[in-house]
Amino acid sequence: MANSSSRRRGWSLGKLVFRLFLVVAALTFLGNPQWPVVGPAIQQLQTGVKYLQHQVGVRFAESTSTSAPPAPPPSDALPAQNPNVQTGTLNPVPAQNTGYQRPADKVYIASFNIQVFGESKLSKPDVVEILVQLVRQFDIVAIQEVRAQSDEILPRFLAAINANGARYQYLIGPRLGRTNSTEQYAFIYDSSRIEADPASVGTIADPNDLLHREPFVARFRPRTNNPDRAFTFWLVDMHTDPDEVKQEVDVLADVFQLMKGARPDEDDVILLGDLNASEKQLGRLGQLPGIGWVVSGVPTNTQKSKTYDNLIYDTSATREYTGRWGVVDIESIFGVSRDQALRVSDHLPVWAEFDVWEANLATNMAGSAALTR
Amino acid sequence: MSQVEQAIADLQHAQVEVRAAAAEKLATAGSDAAPASVALVRACADDESVRTWAVAALEDLGPPPASTLAELKKLAEAPQPLVSYWAVTLIGRLGDDAATAVPTLAGVVRTAADLATRERAAWALGQMTSISPDGVAALKTAAEANEPRLARLAREALEKT
Repeated sequence: MANSSSRRRGWSLGKLVFRLFLVVAALTFLGNPQWPVVGPAIQQLQTGVKYLQHQVGVRFAESTSTSAPPAPPPSDALPAQNPNVQTGTLNPVPAQNTGYQRPADKVYIASFNIQVFGESKLSKPDVVEILVQLVRQFDIVAIQEVRAQSDEILPRFLAAINANGARYQYLIGPRLGRTNSTEQYAFIYDSSRIEADPASVGTIADPNDLLHREPFVARFRPRTNNPDRAFTFWLVDMHTDPDEVKQEVDVLADVFQLMKGARPDEDDVILLGDLNASEKQLGRLGQLPGIGWVVSGVPTNTQKSKTYDNLIYDTSATREYTGRWGVVDIESIFGVSRDQALRVSDHLPVWAEFDVWEANLATNMAGSAALTR
Repeated sequence: MSQVEQAIADLQHAQVEVRAAAAEKLATAGSDAAPASVALVRACADDESVRTWAVAALEDLGPPPASTLAELKKLAEAPQPLVSYWAVTLIGRLGDDAATAVPTLAGVVRTAADLATRERAAWALGQMTSISPDGVAALKTAAEANEPRLARLAREALEKT
């Protein structure tokens, strides 16, 4: 728990960046072979034991292949046509109902605030079934609002997801909050298609306590037969405090910039989560040069009255984004009532599609060449 | 009896499972749960299974009815930090409609044992465009505090007056 007493150090953002620089420099010289360093603002992650329980054996350099082609497609190639996905609408259809397989040349990233995801929710089989089907639609799901005293919520949920032979894994952050009512972020990802870098997972340090629940970050890469050309990216999972949205989205502009500079070989940062703000309320974050957002003009709460959830990215850097996105309408997809959908969450999942191949290869390769064993 | 009224009644039920279900129901109601503001703040002192959902409901219900202000002022001084924290937060959401709560908030800023609650009280004062001298004095003291967030929120509140 990030209690108040732990927030009293007097660091400015500048000092934070400097500290990041020192950490990066130190780790670079120490020489972590495959993924040299974790960035910045990333706290020394509780040493990877408690919060990385299911990261065993994940190493990018040993990635398994998919049937993806060995070289990136031309940048103007049309996205693969998934009949269940429509740009900007409430989709897709649950895989179990359609037999739909995610295409090998695309990555589907989602964000989902599963309101008070804990014991109560897991005790409802109908709710768990919908949650399981939702997660199986995507390669990575950034989750907000894991709220439980137990550490067994994610393991139990994962067992349900993987009951059909799927190979999802998860990363979970520390309990965060200023009161004794805390919550955790998590990433759930399909390890048959996605690798997480175990050295690049952490919680943003926030010594001046500017954010109620500091973002949880991790770096991912799709498994392909050509890892050097695969799309790599940071995910920055965030849930703003509804009473301090204006201030927090401004701070997120600094977080975004910080993560952009976290590694010299990484230009892709996708900040996603429950921002409690529409695309028109992003403050300084929405004014960053080249900044883009996926969800626009579509409500993301179950009551369908507010746009709270989004994926934010740099349009000049993250050209892997295909322009296809959606908000999953739980009511229509699963044929349930509004009240039943609200038992799942007061938010709907939002998602976006990306190519598996790195678009800005020249820039990234130049950086990674110096850092690879 | 409406669903919200029923849930408010159920928050007083003897069985914790009933109270938890009531809080969960209110957490799905959004701003419709506003009439349950006081009951939900009180529920922050309940069992964890109730408290968690009560907090979720409080996060989403927006400003409480102005008629709840007197009760919220009492709860702002409750010994349970989470109760006080949420009472102060709801008072802050009322903005200038909570002007009579300035002395209460000033007292919380000065003397509350829980830092997060003191910070929220400074934030709540910052939601008002005009603060009485008592509130200004409390904020000036807090602005010099060693706690960076408390000091920052106090400074920001003072800038708005």
